[in-house]
Parts: sequence; structure tokens; C-alpha cells
Amino acid sequence: MDTMTRRKFIQMTGAGAMATAAHSLSIEEIADAAITRPLPLGTPILVVVTLYGGNDGLNTVVPFQDPIYHSLRPQLAYAESEVIPIGDGLALNGAMTGFKSLWDKQQLAIIRGVGYPNPDRSHFSSMAIWQSAELNASKSGWLGRWVETQQEDPLLAISLGSVLPPLLAGNRRSGSVLPLGGFKVPGGSLASDCAKLSISSAEDNRLTAIAARSMRNLFEVSGQVTPILKEPAPPANDLPTAVGGNAGGDSNLSAQLEIVAKLIAAGSPTKVWSVSLGGFDTHADEHTAQSRLLGALSQSISKFMSQMRATNRSKDVTVLVYSEFGRRVRANASQGTDHGTSGPVFLLGERVIGGFHGDQPSLNDLEDDDLATTTDFRDIYAEVLGKVLLTDGEQVLTKWKSKLDLIN
Amino acid sequence: MSRLSHRIGFGPRPGEFERILSLGFDRASKELLSAVSTYNPDQARALGLSDLGTQPKPNTPEIVEYAEKKRFQLRTMTLWWLDQMVELSNPFIERMTWFWHGHWATSYAKVDEPLVMFEHVNKLRKNAIGNFEAMSRDMVLDGALIFWLDGQRNTALAPNENLSRELMELFILGVNRYTESDVKETAKALTGYKVQKSSGLVTRNVKQVHKGAISFLGTSGSFDALSLTEFLVKRSDCQRFIPERLFYRFVTSNAVLDGNSRIEGAFSSREILPTIQALVASSYFQAPENSQVRSPIEWLIGILRAIRVTPSKFERPDYLINLLNGLGQRPFFPPNVGGWPADEAWLSAASTQTRISAAEYLMKQGDLSPISQLPQSARVDGLANWLGISSWSERTKLAFSGAIKDPQRLAVLAVCSPEYLVNA
Repeated sequence: MDTMTRRKFIQMTGAGAMATAAHSLSIEEIADAAITRPLPLGTPILVVVTLYGGNDGLNTVVPFQDPIYHSLRPQLAYAESEVIPIGDGLALNGAMTGFKSLWDKQQLAIIRGVGYPNPDRSHFSSMAIWQSAELNASKSGWLGRWVETQQEDPLLAISLGSVLPPLLAGNRRSGSVLPLGGFKVPGGSLASDCAKLSISSAEDNRLTAIAARSMRNLFEVSGQVTPILKEPAPPANDLPTAVGGNAGGDSNLSAQLEIVAKLIAAGSPTKVWSVSLGGFDTHADEHTAQSRLLGALSQSISKFMSQMRATNRSKDVTVLVYSEFGRRVRANASQGTDHGTSGPVFLLGERVIGGFHGDQPSLNDLEDDDLATTTDFRDIYAEVLGKVLLTDGEQVLTKWKSKLDLIN
Repeated sequence: MSRLSHRIGFGPRPGEFERILSLGFDRASKELLSAVSTYNPDQARALGLSDLGTQPKPNTPEIVEYAEKKRFQLRTMTLWWLDQMVELSNPFIERMTWFWHGHWATSYAKVDEPLVMFEHVNKLRKNAIGNFEAMSRDMVLDGALIFWLDGQRNTALAPNENLSRELMELFILGVNRYTESDVKETAKALTGYKVQKSSGLVTRNVKQVHKGAISFLGTSGSFDALSLTEFLVKRSDCQRFIPERLFYRFVTSNAVLDGNSRIEGAFSSREILPTIQALVASSYFQAPENSQVRSPIEWLIGILRAIRVTPSKFERPDYLINLLNGLGQRPFFPPNVGGWPADEAWLSAASTQTRISAAEYLMKQGDLSPISQLPQSARVDGLANWLGISSWSERTKLAFSGAIKDPQRLAVLAVCSPEYLVNA
């Protein structure tokens, strides 16, 4: 919606047809607030990357010197020549060259053996646990609950895609969703008629209230976002063109991060971004599929970090990468792996304390053929809440205090 | 009554809502739940779906023809299904087929064979309101399902647990009603099954079959896919799980059916129809708090029924398929083996914009005479009857009031209103 139409929209809903001032106030309020209030420089920003399907941690951060690794995965193990050693007998997957350069700059923290007690090997249950940060997987997401500790603002937490991930769903309020193609909102009298439908009503139940709010958010978020999306993305000056190029084929994640980069550069008042990459459920023929995905992950994040350096917000941004579980240590007969337990979590950014954190689960000491969990994922969330979102973690995570020091 | 019309069916065609209102809840539910099966074992052939054989090599003239045939067949079967949902005066069987499609959620994205994917759903149609054990037997030997969950890669040498886990977690028992050891053991019963990709034909390679007894869920013995399935379906956890899933999709996703003996009792011999009947007759079905968000397919089919548009005869049939895809719910393409999400997930600003522009376009094409024929003073009530809504909020009436002269605008606003997006 262009500025003119948007102003008309506000006028139409604020005056004229809306004699009921109390109802229209909320729309006006949000619209006014959203017109120009860039996020102050220096405000920390969190970008959460969800890897759907259960990423095989052992072929991501590879114990390539461990004979047990090779014996349990005769056809699936990587040899030293195929990986990027980073110390401690571990190596990054050969496709993750972008992560290696961030590692060398001390901007990549690898937290090892991350999981939770009594691992659930169901995609859905385990992802629900990770996204809710509760072992009995409540309906609200941890960042949705965080949204509820903040002042209401549809631009505060945004997920890229078409469906809201449970991660950002609160009990009463939720984050917003931004489609990859950007918004195309109606103009003219249809806009003002639709705006009327977006007013909350005393007759609303929980779901009709959310339906009305989604209409309100459409006008709000799109008014802010549409002009920005037309701008060019920030440049990635310090990357060699080979890395920035499209050798591995464009991935949807890079498109999502491109939009995030534009909006951060433009000062969107958004403190949490959620993006995702799917396809990690590698029960069969894992090698090619996983390294293609990890390559896309590494390349698009390193490009994004480089774009951040071209803005003045590179110090503000922290990226968190996780998946719902790791995979079984022993390969199956289909050159793939079945659902497992713990795995590595990545934190990236100029403020993170680069290097390894947490203990690498020993292959000598498997629990029921699976990796032990050495770090609880809520430790990482608590650290991110406290140091990135500047929120007392205990408000969001029931009685959980971080035992880790991951971020400066 | 609005719940009956929208949850047991796909919303009213013009005149239908007034008619069921006049019948009253009991007679209306009896009528809606007594649909005659539309299953035709030869439907695939009738639609011209065929085994397309092995995919030709890239960059050959053959592959172009092959790809075109594949695309055409997928389009044909998708539009046929949408047509069924829209055209049947009582679409209960298709409603249930749709439910089961989300339950045994298998996607064309991996199956990649129109015939095999259609036969998968047609087996669900055959058993849609019949016996769950019969359905499960059909499914566990279904080529599309096995291929989707890597069953053809599961051998005695190193079992692949994908199918055995989902069989228990998502299809028959429910999560955590088995142990990890049960997953590993039951995978052995499912070893050796092979799928011929283009025909979906399932055979078993005896060399890859696990030899010997397996121990799981307190039993041990020699099991194959069918005997394993029969064993699982007989367990009391299955009797809890299927009513729970029906409750989740037909009543609410916001609460869990907590051991209701009447509904579970209705499922004691694994018959689906009596279970649905018990659910609809229960107080849950009418409880005010159990409102539900209309999923994209429910939203679109509801509109097409009201405006009398037959998908395959629409001026741009592909528009409808792309619309469903854009809203995240294209038939034959569930997002993952857990099926589609429910409720709040469908209510984003992103989907709102898609719905508004789609509604604008569709209302230009459709028959709006049930509204345009009415005097202006009768249009607000007329919209409710036309779309099967029990009542409009003051907010929505206010939005209508500015557009009362314009039936097209009224119809757009009505289907984008919170009262239409949510089945109260």
C-alpha cells in the first residue's frame, strides 16, 4: 500500500465511518507508531534459524578422527580430506566454508551435545519441545511468550514464510508472518471496508479476535515493509564473489535472509526474526542431501553476516541455529540415519564467544545406541534471552537459569 | 447448525442452510451423516491416469512428453477431487477422505507418480467411514505410503525406522504409547517390502526380510506388515487415539479428548461411522468454546459451493490450485507426515492478503444471485444464510453497511470476515 492509500486507510478508520472512537483507537495507535520509529542503533537483534527434519550433528561437526565414528558409519563417515578440521578432533562438514571463516574470526560458537532429558524421537513432539522450551510442550512458543512480555507491536517479531511457526505463538499475542513475495494489500474503499473487519469486537472469542488481528497486522506490517522491500539489499562487500555466487543453486533460506537483511538495514523495529530451512530428515542417501543443505545454510548465513557489516548493525545481530534432534550414530542400510538425540547448536555474531562450548558426547559411551546430552537447550535460550533480548529468562522459561557463558 | 454444515460438510450450497435449519440438529445431523459412498475402484482409469513407466533420460524428446503427461494427470486428479467436494450435495464422504488424507499424510512431492498418489487417496475414500483396521491394512501395503516413508529401503541388514515409528506415533497409537525399543523391533516386521515406483505395486524380497521373532509392546513372535498392523489396531491405545484425532480435527485443537467412554466405546470394533456419530452427538460438538479456524481448503470449497463454481469448469482452474498452494494447503501435498496444521497457524497477515485478493477475483466470477436478488434490507441476514453463518458481529455488520448496494463487495467482506474465517 503506498503512503497515500495508507493515510487514507487511517483516516477512514479513524474518523468518518468509525463513530466508535474506542474501537478505532487501536488501529490508529498502531499505525501512528509504525510510521517512523526505527529500532535504535545498538539494540540487539536475534535471528533464529530452524532446521526442520532433524539435522545429523555427527556429519555437521564431524568427529573425523574417532575410529568408532568410522566403524559405525562405514559408508556415511567423512574422511579427513573431505572435512574442515577446526580442532579438538572435530571438523566442519566440507560444505561449510562460510562457517569456517566466521569460526576463524571468533564469531561462531558451537555448543555441543545439546538436547534435553528423555529425548523424544518424534519430529513433532521434539520440535514442539524445542519451540515451546517446555518438556511437556505447551502450545505457546518461547519467543511467543517473550513477545507477551513486551509492548504490543506487530513488527516486534517476524517470521518469513506463509504460516506462523509455533515458536512465535504466544498465549494471547503472537509474532507476525511476512510472505516472501512481500505484501500486496487492497487499496481504496476495499481497504477501508477491510479495516472495519479488523476492529476487535466485544463478541469476539479467542479465534475470531486473532482473525481480526491478522487483518490489522496486514495493513500495519505491509505499510512499513513494502517500500523497504523495493530497495536493493545491503552489499556483501567483504565476501569473495565465489562465495557470494550461486554455485550451489539459490536456496529459499537465502531469499528469507535477504529480506531480513533489507529490513534490518532499513531500521525495522523488529527484535526477533525467524527463518527456516527444511529437508534434514535424511533417512536415505544422506551425503549429498545434507551437504547441499549445510552448504546453503553456511553460505546464506555468511552472506547475511557480511551484509550486516555493510550496515552499522553488525554488532547488534546474533544468529541462533538449531534442529529438533540429531540422528542415530549408526547408519542405516539406505546410506542414511534414523532419528537420534542430541546435536550441535550454533550461535553466530560479533558478540558471541567463539569456539566450542559444552562437551562432545562420547561415541564410547552411547545411551541406547544414541548420543548423550551434555547441554540442555534451555541454557542457550536463557543466555539468548538475557544477553540478546535483555529479558529475564525466568519470565519466559519456567525457572531456568543459564549455566553457560556464550555471549559477551 | 453452522458447525454441522461446515465441519461435516464443506459449507452449504444456496438454499441448503435454510433447509437444514428447518430440519433441526438431530434430523440434519442424521441426514448429513448418512451419505452414500462415492468410491469407485476404477476411478483412476476413468480419469485417464496411467502408469507412466520409467522416467526417460534428461534432454531427450521423450522426457518432454513424459513430463507433460505427468503434469496433466496430476492436474486432472486434483481438479476432480475439488469438483467432488464442491458438487456433491452431501460431501460427507469426501470430507472424511480429506480428514484421512491429513491423517495418513503422504505427499506427491516425494511419491511423484499421479496414479500411485491417486490410488493412495482412493483407498482412503473406500474406507472413509468404514473400518479402521481395513483402512490400516490397505495403507501399510500402499505403494505411496511405503515409498514416502522409505519402507522400500528397510532391510533386515539395517532396518530403516521411518515407517515403523510413524505407524505407531501418527497413524495408529499416538505419540509415547510405545518405547524406542518398540520402534526398532517393529521396523524389523516391515523389512523387505519393495515398491515399483510408477505402478505402486508392492512386493516383498524374502532375502531382505528379517528372520525370527521380534519383541515389542509386551508380545513377541513373527510378524509381517499385516499382522503387525492388526496387532496395533487391536490395542486399546488405538481405541483412544483415533477418537482423539477426530476430536482434534472436527471439534477443537485447543483441548484433548480425555477418555470419553461413549466416543471410545463407539470405536470398540474400529468402525469409523459410529464414532463420528457419537462425536457429533456429544456435548463437545456444540460447546461454545470449541470454535475452529477454517483451513484454506474449507475456506475455498465453502466459497465455491456458495457461488456455484465447478473447479474444472472455472475459467482458470490452475488459479484455484495455485491459490491453495499459496495458502499452504494443496491437496496431495501435505507439508509433512504430521499433516496440515490447525487453527491459529492459518491466521497470518500473509494469508489474509491472499484471501482478500482471491475473494475479489472469485466473487467477480461467481453467481451472487442469492444476495443480489434480495432487497438491501435483507442482505445482511441473506449473507448469513447463504454462507451458513449463525450470526454476524456488530463489527462485521458495520463493514457491510457501507457496501450494502454492492453484492460483490458484500460477498468479499463476508468471506474475509472473522466470522467466516472462524467456524464459531
